[in-house]
Amino acid sequence: MLESFAASRCRLCLVLVLSGCVLSAVAFASRAPAGTLDAVVKDAEGRPVPDAVVYATEASRTAATKPAGAVIDQQDKEFVPRVKPIQVGTDVLFPNKDNIRHHVYSFSPAKKFELPLYKGVPAAPVRFDRPGVVVLGCNIHDWMLGYVYVLETPYFATTGSDGNAELNDLPAGAYEVRVWQPRMRETGEPPSQRVTVTGSKAGRVEFLIALKPEFRLRRAPIGAGDRYR
Amino acid sequence: MRFRSFQTRIVVVFLGLLTAVQAAGFFAVSAAMTKNARARITDELAVGGNVFTRLIRARTEHLAQAARLLSGDFAFKAAASSDDRETVLSVLENHQARIGADVMMLASLNRTLMADTLRRGGPAAALFPFPDLVAHAEQAGEASAIATIDGHAYQIVAVPLLAPLPIAWICVGFVIDDRVARDLQSLTLLQVSFLRAGEGGWRSLASTLQGAMREALLRGLPAPTAATNTSRSVRIGAEEYMTLVTSLGDTSDGAIVAVLQRSLDAALEPARRLQVALLAISAGGLLVSVTGGVVIARRVTKPVRDLVESARRIERGDYEQSVRVTQQDEIGELAATFNHMAKGLAERDRVRAELERVGRLKRFFSPQLAELLVSAGDEAVLASHRREITVVFCDLRGFAAFAETAEPEEVMGVLREYHEAVGPEIFRFEGTLERFTGDGLMVFFNDPVPCADPAARAVRMADRMRHNVGELIETWQRRGHTLGFGVGIAMGYATLGRIGFEGRFDYAAIGTVTNLSARLCSEAQSGQILVSQRVYTDVQDLAEAEPAGSLTLKGFVKPVPAFNVLRVTERVTP
Repeated sequence: MLESFAASRCRLCLVLVLSGCVLSAVAFASRAPAGTLDAVVKDAEGRPVPDAVVYATEASRTAATKPAGAVIDQQDKEFVPRVKPIQVGTDVLFPNKDNIRHHVYSFSPAKKFELPLYKGVPAAPVRFDRPGVVVLGCNIHDWMLGYVYVLETPYFATTGSDGNAELNDLPAGAYEVRVWQPRMRETGEPPSQRVTVTGSKAGRVEFLIALKPEFRLRRAPIGAGDRYR
Repeated sequence: MRFRSFQTRIVVVFLGLLTAVQAAGFFAVSAAMTKNARARITDELAVGGNVFTRLIRARTEHLAQAARLLSGDFAFKAAASSDDRETVLSVLENHQARIGADVMMLASLNRTLMADTLRRGGPAAALFPFPDLVAHAEQAGEASAIATIDGHAYQIVAVPLLAPLPIAWICVGFVIDDRVARDLQSLTLLQVSFLRAGEGGWRSLASTLQGAMREALLRGLPAPTAATNTSRSVRIGAEEYMTLVTSLGDTSDGAIVAVLQRSLDAALEPARRLQVALLAISAGGLLVSVTGGVVIARRVTKPVRDLVESARRIERGDYEQSVRVTQQDEIGELAATFNHMAKGLAERDRVRAELERVGRLKRFFSPQLAELLVSAGDEAVLASHRREITVVFCDLRGFAAFAETAEPEEVMGVLREYHEAVGPEIFRFEGTLERFTGDGLMVFFNDPVPCADPAARAVRMADRMRHNVGELIETWQRRGHTLGFGVGIAMGYATLGRIGFEGRFDYAAIGTVTNLSARLCSEAQSGQILVSQRVYTDVQDLAEAEPAGSLTLKGFVKPVPAFNVLRVTERVTP
């Protein structure tokens, strides 16, 4: 099912002075300065939000770089990392680090695929060539949940448990910074902020998002009663 | 008749009492049975209601389990997430068949109806008809409800289709039809009906009641708003049912209730049969008691009747009968006493008759003789017969002259004293007093009772009389009366018997001997006892006598030799 990107628009006050060094990590970028963007994501109560993807889209042009491969492990019957942002066109490998087989699948419109029961590393990676949210599941472990957020921009980072994320090697320029989190309430457009990245100072964005209650299945084995939640 | 009514009274009282007791028992038992049956049915209904509620919940759970299993099916997930509507529908139908459901629907997260096995066609973006169900499921993870589709009631369950996050809502439904109602009936043993409260009253969705009873239920059940948890009696058609109404849920078409019923009449059936049996027993008992009562009444009154009859006979003077009663109880005692009384009366009668006879005889005979005669019981002895008797005549000398001159009172007094002196001697020597006329006395011996020594007795008696009267003569002399006592005794044959007429009979002796005796007495001087030759011959040994010459007596041709007894030598006290 397609997750719509409707999000409530929230206006924030910009308190930051962007300074930072411009990093010239990207090959196509001929700009000399590369900046850093610090992002903080909090929920409505002010608590830090982990697993939030902060991504910056360049206003003027889109980068056309071939993305490197990505890896999403299956470890201890969980997807690691739980939320993985990637750029469109990335090949993702799903190595199975458990001693039991897994059957990875997704029915998301952005990418429908399945890797029938396998051990170890699958022969070929899966290429995600459409932007959107891809929800991963395991057919034989109902609680296994993973997200692949396919973005068009190569500039993204995921917040940790402290709610902070750092976008590095951003060429200087103007960006639209947005955030996405699996539990984010989506009404209308996703919240975005305009930031100008300079090489001298690190930019800073802060997002406040409203979250839906978490939907998680209990890990098996459990007692009798197959109750959701 | 007195006895008939007494008999009837016994029967009536007996019967009346028995009827009253049996009727009281019958009604008490009937009332208790009915009350008990009602209470029992109410309890059964309450239990049935609980069982029913549990069964509904179990069915829902079963539905939910089936739906949950379905929702884990990978192929189903794959098919459902394809946008091919036809595929989705056929998958739904397939899986519906797997679990035997009656309807399966797929609702999107936007509350649109993606597929519906009941209405296969329909607009593409129709709204899911049960948005509340989905909303509830979003809150609680899954939800169940009772809903109506096309006028039929369904139990539906909504579970999420996880892939691995909810991508749709699966709704599975079982229809509630007559088969379900019958199934529930077989478990709860109650009549089960599912009704919907619509405008204008109840609508029937499913029921175990047949035909006209269904319609009757719709009419008979009270207003839809009053659905409580207490059972009450509802009349449906001709039968009475204890009814419990349980609310199952609200739908857009109105509230849906389950009506559980138990036929009061059917439940009271065994009680009715018992009543009939009781009635039969009562009637039988009554019949037996009628017979028994009549028999007992007869048995009681018959002896009484017999006694009454006996009493009547006794009244008439018939004592010679007895009441034959063999009972040992009070009636028997009464009869025995009655018999004794009759015997006593008869005995008294007999004794009285005897006393009468004795009384009659005592006029002539000494008491001993009279008793003897009565005890002999033969009055033929008084018939005429001839016997040799010894006759004694005695009288007072000078009595006539005395009676002439003395006052009557004096005469009576003298006579009294005279009789008191001679009377006892007659009895002592057992003579028969024939008559006494004034101062004269005639006594004879050897009749009617023969004795061995009539002459001796006569002489001894005369002697004693002389002695007794002699004392009196002295007394009289002192009073100024000169009287003497003379006796004549003769022995010979005479004819004796009863003479007289009815009402007055006398015992008399007729013969020469009496004349002789009388003449001898008149010849005797005061203090003389003149006896005839014959007599003298018999008493020579015991009496000292002197000849008194041959006397010429009137009526006798030849002179009669006579002797005067001076004294009796041998005194024997008889």
